[in-house]
Amino acid sequence: MRLTVKPLKQKDAGRGLAAIDRAAMDELDLENGDYIVLEGKQDSRAVARVWPGYPEDEGNGIVRIDGQLRQEANVGIDDHVNIEKADVNPATSVTVALPQNLRVRGNVGPMIRNNLSGQAVTQGQTVPVSFGLGPLSSMSGQKIPLKIAETEPSGTVVVTDSTDIQVSEMPAEQVHSGEGAPEARDTPDVTYEDIGGLDRELEQVREMIELPMRHPELFQQLGIEPPKGVLLHGPPGTGKTLMAKAVANEIDAYFTTISGPEIMSKYYGESEEQLREIFDEASENSPAIVFIDEIDSIAPKRGETQGDVERRVVAQLLSLMDGLEERGQVIVIGATNRVDAIDPALRRGGRFDREIEIGVPDKEGRKEILQVHTRGMPLSEKIDIENYAENTHGFVGADLASLTKESAMNALRRIRPELDLESDEIDAEVLERLEISDTDFREAMKGIEPSALREVFVEVPDVTWDSVGGLEDTKERLRETIQWPLEYEDVFESMDLEAAKGVLMYGPPGTGKTLLAKAVANEAQSNFISVKGPELLNKFVGESEKGVREVFSKARENAPTVVFFDEIDSIAGERGGGTTDSGVGERVVSQLLTELDGIEEMENVVVVATTNRPDLIDDALLRPGRLDRHVHVPVPDEDARRAIFQVHTRNKPLADGVDLDELARRTDGYVGADIEAVAREASMAATREFINSVDPEEIGDSVSNVRVTMDHFEHALEEVGPSVTEETRERYEEIEQRFDRAEPGVADESTASRTFQ
Amino acid sequence: MTSEQQLFDETPLRRFEYDDTVVLAADVGPAADASVDVVDGTVIVVADGHQHEQEIPAGDARAFMNHGVLTIELSEEEGDN
Repeated sequence: MRLTVKPLKQKDAGRGLAAIDRAAMDELDLENGDYIVLEGKQDSRAVARVWPGYPEDEGNGIVRIDGQLRQEANVGIDDHVNIEKADVNPATSVTVALPQNLRVRGNVGPMIRNNLSGQAVTQGQTVPVSFGLGPLSSMSGQKIPLKIAETEPSGTVVVTDSTDIQVSEMPAEQVHSGEGAPEARDTPDVTYEDIGGLDRELEQVREMIELPMRHPELFQQLGIEPPKGVLLHGPPGTGKTLMAKAVANEIDAYFTTISGPEIMSKYYGESEEQLREIFDEASENSPAIVFIDEIDSIAPKRGETQGDVERRVVAQLLSLMDGLEERGQVIVIGATNRVDAIDPALRRGGRFDREIEIGVPDKEGRKEILQVHTRGMPLSEKIDIENYAENTHGFVGADLASLTKESAMNALRRIRPELDLESDEIDAEVLERLEISDTDFREAMKGIEPSALREVFVEVPDVTWDSVGGLEDTKERLRETIQWPLEYEDVFESMDLEAAKGVLMYGPPGTGKTLLAKAVANEAQSNFISVKGPELLNKFVGESEKGVREVFSKARENAPTVVFFDEIDSIAGERGGGTTDSGVGERVVSQLLTELDGIEEMENVVVVATTNRPDLIDDALLRPGRLDRHVHVPVPDEDARRAIFQVHTRNKPLADGVDLDELARRTDGYVGADIEAVAREASMAATREFINSVDPEEIGDSVSNVRVTMDHFEHALEEVGPSVTEETRERYEEIEQRFDRAEPGVADESTASRTFQ
Repeated sequence: MTSEQQLFDETPLRRFEYDDTVVLAADVGPAADASVDVVDGTVIVVADGHQHEQEIPAGDARAFMNHGVLTIELSEEEGDN
């Protein structure tokens, strides 16, 4: 029966499964798990087990197999393949050949049998076998290709527990490939299943490239020229090159790459000639794909380049791609992470017909990518991939790959003491014992940060809502603004509610604004970018504004993100005053304004800003749609002070007589920072008393008896005074009232420069 | 559409929802010495000496193991949990 080949979902790949749609399954009288033979082009055969077909395929005559099987059967996606129920016999003996560079000591027979057991093999077939992390772990795949040299009985056999496994003396490379063995090819060995989280993008690329190559008649019928160029762009490490490789591999076209620096020559005209040669060669071997990696290096904007050569190379590329001469069946794929640096003439229809953005993967994408990378790894059962997918905001494919690699290295480190590096071979038993545990993964997580955020990344502080004493209202409002839109996306959607874009926290110094921001960073499950106002400023004209722009573009790329501006008054002061800094401040403010509420949407990016001079901030920034929520972080009242005392004395050894209520009552005007100082001072006093009164040698024994008493607190209260005066508090309450009226514009100019303290 | 459940330790149990039936499938590997049985609305899977149990809604259920592929078929009326 002839069925159409489609790719398998990532999570089902690599197990020798073929998902056949249910109608076809009934017709062939197949059950899940039955062996089938897939017969592709040139008599290539592959054996697979039946897996339930995907519901969306029902009745369409589709078989889904992974890249490994596609290669064995020598078919591509959308090709037809003949399917038959396989008649397999149990094997009495199988002889396998190992690759030459595999150096394993000991009897690997039982291990291979364990790996192959239940698999159907034919003579000459190459079977990938996972040996754990062997000495070949440096090779790209985690699996070792075994060649089946001989089987007894011949034909397709299934390996059982009683099969005798022989290891051939001859290395796999010398065993003559029997029928059906894939020939060594030039094209890279990446299949569509090796790409996770880019289904939509992959579909677009395939539509652009595969369709015109396989069925040019479609385009003739429509009377249009098939598209001939795709430009892939996106942040580094998201899989642009991988995608080009996979496409080249899957559609069996001639594939050639151009890397910028290679074609440059010191002789006049030779760089262009090299470019021409590559295109000539491609069109001779058409259908062909020319892949230009990092295209920004050879095709920069002509107006901005210094050298003459670049301009000529760009011009050559332009005419090669869409000149007088027909290009024929040559498709150009360009990849770059600086799409705006490319000459605009290249970015039009006929040259790069379509630009496909390859973005940072979301949670589902990350899960798929992790599944791809951990496919061949001996993972412990405790590892929850889903959990890691959730906690890796902003990680691109390359980061996730290095996460899995790093955790595998951790596992390796554990057994390294047992390894004898002097000996040539590694014990097969040791290999088998290698397993990656959850701890390995967690350790690796600590060491890897998302590459796109590396410049601005901050370690998320370990502060939870519990560490913030009092301020219940404030906490609630922050939670509403920042956590809710991410957690209850559906509710917001059905209420037609747009998430707030920003929160401004203001209040006297020391009331806990920064602490709140830290708690937000920790609790929000988002990426956190902290911007310290003054560091954005730069001596070059235009660079300071660029800093703001970069912060926001990074935030957008890695959404969901919380962008935190501490002391925002330093960069967002009122415009229009007598400027002394040639207007840099004003331009920074303007940039900030357009970023917050400009034409570009801020998807899932929330700005949190703090200040203790809200009256100095430019009014336009405070209107709804920008920093639309103004949260007053007030001087704590008695209840709040008690809560703060509780937080700061939580882990201190208090004597029985310490009355926190009493302390809270007596500390009117103290802010959070003052209370922390009181608690610290009291403990210090207790420590001082203890160390001065006890023999140094006995300190270790008696330290557990020390208590902080009320007397110590009395002493501390004398030392630390309140930092907020009645006058200051009134000022802030006034400001709060003004903000509550939602008319920040009425701030009168004359008070703008008054200080509060 | 299909969704995934992590039921049998590390082996994902995939759920396929068709028009008339729901099929749960898992690949425990062709090597595994595994068997499956349905008793009173519970599917009992024995694989490599470990036993896993999975509650399924009462009703018509059929389960079988074939070359390491576990299949549980549930009829639609009760099968949609």
